Amino acid sequence: MMDIYLPLKRPSWLVDNKRMRTTSDFQWLLSTFVLLYLMNHVNSQRKETPYDLKCTTNNLQKWDCSWKAPSGASRGTLYEFCIDDRSHSCYHLARTNIEIPALSPGDHEITISLQDAGSSTSKFILNEKNISLIPDTPEILNLSADFSTSTLHVKWNDKGSVFPRHSNVIWEIKILWKKSMELVKLVTHNTTLNGKDTVHHWSWVSDLPLECAIHYVGIRCYVDNLLFSGHKEWSDWSPLKNISWTPDSQPKVFPQDKVILVGSNITFCCVSQEKVLSAQIGSTYCPLIHLDGENVAIKVHNISVSENSGTNVVFMIEDNVCGTVVFAGYPPDTPKKLNCETHDLKEIICSWDPGRSTGLVGPRNTSYKLFEGFSGKYVRFKKVDVSANESYHQLLLQMVPNQEIYNFTLYARNPLGRSESTILVNITEKVYPYTPTSLKVKDINSTAVILSWHLPGSFGKINLLCQIEINKINSVQESRNVTIKGVENSSYRIAVGKLNPYTVYTFRICCSTETFWKWSKWSNKKQHLTTEAIPSNGPDTWREWSSDGKNLIIYWKPLPISEANGKILSYNVSCSSDEETQSLSEILDPQHKAEIQLNKNDYIISVVAKNSVGASPPSKIASMEIPHDDVKTEQAVGMGKGILLTWHHNPNMTCDYVIKWCNSSRSEPCLMDWRKVPSNSTEALIESDQFRPGVRYKFFLYGCRNQGYQLLRSIIGYIKELAPTVAPNFTVEDTSADSILVKWEDIPVEELRGFLRGYLFYFEKGERDTSKMRGLESGRSDIKVKNITDISQKTLRIADLQGKTSYHLVLQAYTDGGLGPEKSMFVVTKENSVGLIIAILIPVAVAVIVGVVTSILCYRKREWIKETFYPDIPNPENCKALQFQKSVCEGSGALKTLEMNPCTPNNVEVLETRSTFPKIEDTEIISPVAECPEDSSDAEPENHVVVSYCPPIIEEEIPNPGGDEAGGTSQVIYIDVQSMYQPQARPEEEQEKDPVGGAGYKPQMHLPINSTVEDIAAEGDLDKTAGYRPQANVNTWHLVSPDSPRSTDSNSEIVSFGSPCSINSRQFLIPPKDEDSPQSSGGGWSFTNFFQNKPND
Amino acid sequence: MDLRAGDSWGMLACLCTVLWHLPAVPALNRTGDPGPGPSIQKTYDLTRYLEHQLRSLAGTYLNYLGPPFNEPDFNPPRLGADTLPRATVNLEVWRSLNDKLRLTQNYEAYSHLLCYLRGLNRQAATAELRHSLAHFCTSLQGLLGSIAGVMATLGYPLPQPLPGTEPTWTPGPAHSDFLQKMDDFWLLKELQTWLWRSAKDFNRLKKKMQPPAAAVTLHLEAHGF
Repeated sequence: MMDIYLPLKRPSWLVDNKRMRTTSDFQWLLSTFVLLYLMNHVNSQRKETPYDLKCTTNNLQKWDCSWKAPSGASRGTLYEFCIDDRSHSCYHLARTNIEIPALSPGDHEITISLQDAGSSTSKFILNEKNISLIPDTPEILNLSADFSTSTLHVKWNDKGSVFPRHSNVIWEIKILWKKSMELVKLVTHNTTLNGKDTVHHWSWVSDLPLECAIHYVGIRCYVDNLLFSGHKEWSDWSPLKNISWTPDSQPKVFPQDKVILVGSNITFCCVSQEKVLSAQIGSTYCPLIHLDGENVAIKVHNISVSENSGTNVVFMIEDNVCGTVVFAGYPPDTPKKLNCETHDLKEIICSWDPGRSTGLVGPRNTSYKLFEGFSGKYVRFKKVDVSANESYHQLLLQMVPNQEIYNFTLYARNPLGRSESTILVNITEKVYPYTPTSLKVKDINSTAVILSWHLPGSFGKINLLCQIEINKINSVQESRNVTIKGVENSSYRIAVGKLNPYTVYTFRICCSTETFWKWSKWSNKKQHLTTEAIPSNGPDTWREWSSDGKNLIIYWKPLPISEANGKILSYNVSCSSDEETQSLSEILDPQHKAEIQLNKNDYIISVVAKNSVGASPPSKIASMEIPHDDVKTEQAVGMGKGILLTWHHNPNMTCDYVIKWCNSSRSEPCLMDWRKVPSNSTEALIESDQFRPGVRYKFFLYGCRNQGYQLLRSIIGYIKELAPTVAPNFTVEDTSADSILVKWEDIPVEELRGFLRGYLFYFEKGERDTSKMRGLESGRSDIKVKNITDISQKTLRIADLQGKTSYHLVLQAYTDGGLGPEKSMFVVTKENSVGLIIAILIPVAVAVIVGVVTSILCYRKREWIKETFYPDIPNPENCKALQFQKSVCEGSGALKTLEMNPCTPNNVEVLETRSTFPKIEDTEIISPVAECPEDSSDAEPENHVVVSYCPPIIEEEIPNPGGDEAGGTSQVIYIDVQSMYQPQARPEEEQEKDPVGGAGYKPQMHLPINSTVEDIAAEGDLDKTAGYRPQANVNTWHLVSPDSPRSTDSNSEIVSFGSPCSINSRQFLIPPKDEDSPQSSGGGWSFTNFFQNKPND
Repeated sequence: MDLRAGDSWGMLACLCTVLWHLPAVPALNRTGDPGPGPSIQKTYDLTRYLEHQLRSLAGTYLNYLGPPFNEPDFNPPRLGADTLPRATVNLEVWRSLNDKLRLTQNYEAYSHLLCYLRGLNRQAATAELRHSLAHFCTSLQGLLGSIAGVMATLGYPLPQPLPGTEPTWTPGPAHSDFLQKMDDFWLLKELQTWLWRSAKDFNRLKKKMQPPAAAVTLHLEAHGF
């Protein structure tokens, strides 16, 4: 509200509040008090004069001023209202308000006085700045609703005519909903006032369908006049207008069947008289928003694309259900790859890719309209069906006569939007002809045909480019492009030349236009056989004289298809010389040989091939053969499938070369085949399917000179050499005591299968029964090999053999293809008697001579020998100085030191000799069997060996105290100690035994050792438990031979390994490994195995 | 029955006797007109076949309608589908119906249902669905023909449709998509109920029309095997 300063507010009264505020708090409080007092005083004063003058305006032209009457004034009091301006106008009136024309800017003094009492006058200063501009309350002329689109339309009048000046107006519209009048929307709407009454429209689309709740609309305005310096205020709100929907008895859901954009938000509501229990969109339940009454709404955010039949929104009501279907999709995509072409220049086909699926089908599917800009023609496309596989759409449009340029625009439209695509085409450049049909071929001659076909379309104004594909069997495919003038009647024909006669061709055709756009599809294939022509060449001819030389045999080869030009029916052969002519006619086709009896004259033979059209040019050959120099037969070996023949260039040979060949083993005339080679070549690779490896062929090279042929070279050869199939047949021609003469025969050519390169001869000593010759190639040293590379050699003498010895002889032939089979023979050399005699006589003679010489020498030197070897020895008994006590000497039997008694020797010679007796006699071990035969043979260098051992006699009766050992264990005892101990003895027992017996071997023989009887007895129990009884006490051995391998220092295995002479043990001691390595414990393993296996046996 | 080797002659004689008497058996003697029995049986079989076919079609179609129509516990009240012939009937009422009335009701119901079904076919959006519906329509047309055949055999006249009451498919804006879906749902449901009812009807009729074929058996028994 705008305050108007009272006229009584004298300047002295005015207190500058600001200044007051700047003073101290106390001063401020004091001032406030004073002010309040003064105000009260004024109030009491003004009650007596008009006060509170207020002025407003609603149109800027008139000001409404009103004031309050003094307290004493009655109802009918007259007032004088004077404006102190130039005219000084005064108004007399009986009310307290007045409408005055708008005053000019600036202060104006207003005097209001009561006419009854002249004293009570009030003066006011009025300025435009103190005036409030409050527009009139607007009024809604019309409020309507479009329920289908949930749109509210508001219509009102701006009453602009009352405002003198151009002003901006701000309208504020509020929308309230539900009976509780909740504010939904408050919007401002700007307009301008143009001095006329204008009706304004404003529309608003509600999120909530309008059917669901009552909607109220109110409006107010604010005039924003820039020239008005006073206070501007909003008008009052207009009276509210509302929109509501009259519900049916049936519940209903809104909006119905709406199409919306995917991802948008939408509110559904259900108008129902009954309570709604739940709501769901698709299969998703949504929270309910309660509206007036039982009406509810749900909000769906970011809706996803619908299925074909739409997305169902269902509200469940007690005993009822209601719902709607919403279709969420996309606006049509811009049609892509729009392309227009024609097949026949009659109809245009435009096709396009619709792009992204809209998700809308049926009546909501995208509809297309193809519009042609120049002619204004259009066609529509509406696809109702949903078929996923049809990704391209197309439309047909009839061509406009004489129009070549077309400007097509394709409009796409669906409920959510529209799009378009444009293309400008020259249709004559976009011809994609139909597939040519009815392809026909007609002969012109044997090398040309006419192709005709049907190609629908009115191509009268353009040229067609067609491609003819010509296929010949076993030949490269050929393509020919032809340009033909287009026609209106669709029939085309063209000549195709340069064909071969009597050949099967397959034709097919495709067409395009000269301004190429696309080839049509290929037409169906058409096969055609061209007609025959006369054979282009005569057959390749050769001749041979028969073996008796009377007949000439003429050979010719069938013509190749390319030269025959048809089916060869027959041949004519004629031989003409200066004198006569012989001819053979009508030799039917499969025969390619003719024989004519001729005198040895020089004939020219001509052969002509005939087909249904005619005869070929004759091919001629002279019967005469030019004599040749001696031609050596050479050898050649082929490579792979053929054989390469080379020769030097011969300038005399003016025509061509002929190589003929045959199997060497065939009889004359020898001819398998021949081949002509141009005269300038010097080599030819002869290949034939008839060639077989290992077969010898003869090749003859003829040179042609003056139509006569001369043999230049003769070659034998193989395509590939193989090893001979048979061995050479050989015999022994002669045998002596130290040599054998062997002779062999040639191998037949058929069985040789290659050029013979030599023979291999093996020999060795051997009887027929032995089969030592098996490994001939293994390089055995006793086999002697002779490689005979001179193939003309047919005999071989083997010398330096032993007499009366059987020899094994083997002979095999070889070629470059390999070694042939071998043939063997046994031969015994003759006895050499002279040698034997000499061998006996010479040693005998030598022995006799040596004996005689020795005897003579001995006789001559007998005195020296006697003194040297047998001197006279004095008898010691005769020497008294050497008196030995006999008992002592006898008792020991060993050497005794000479006692140095005073004895005067008289030519005494003392000889000291080694005792040959073993020391055994020093020991007190006396074996019942002093020597055992085995030991004597295996006598060890040390004499003390005697100690050990004696063969077991019979020890089987030794009880088996363990009882738990296998039956064979008792035998083991005698066998091999090493073997036995390890597997048989229990480990614990062995441990116990080791310190006692030192393990090792214990002979089975019980030795009566007196000195250790007690020890043995003490050990008896132990032995019994071990199941083994040692035959001797180790201590005794120790005593006997402290440095023997059986000493206690040695480990048990070494000790036990002593070679027993037990017969039973032999078999286990035989293995050389054990002999070589006494430490090996392998015997134990094998033993265990043996025993373990025994039950199984 | 214990047959011994000695009985073979007796069996042969008996067989000859039976063959001799066969022309006299009335049930086998009907060579020209087999009566309504086979056609009722055929109609019954066709009903069962259609039931089977409908199961598959309904599955596809309800999936096409989308949730909640394809949810097994969705059981909405019958809205708007008032023109559909109702198959549900009080048991007492059903029992009191005579054969003619029964067949007439069946015939009328399927005539209507077929008409609606064809409408359904016209508005289906996918080709495969249309194909399934067309196939089913053909089968239903066959059933209608079968029922007409049975009625003709039994000498009942076919119900004449009253002029102007021919059920027509009226797709229009008045019918919202949702109500249309509800109608489709109810159409399938009624169709299923009608097929159940028809199977029951034809089974009853079949039993009733069964010829006294037991005579042959009894005849053989009498010869004292």
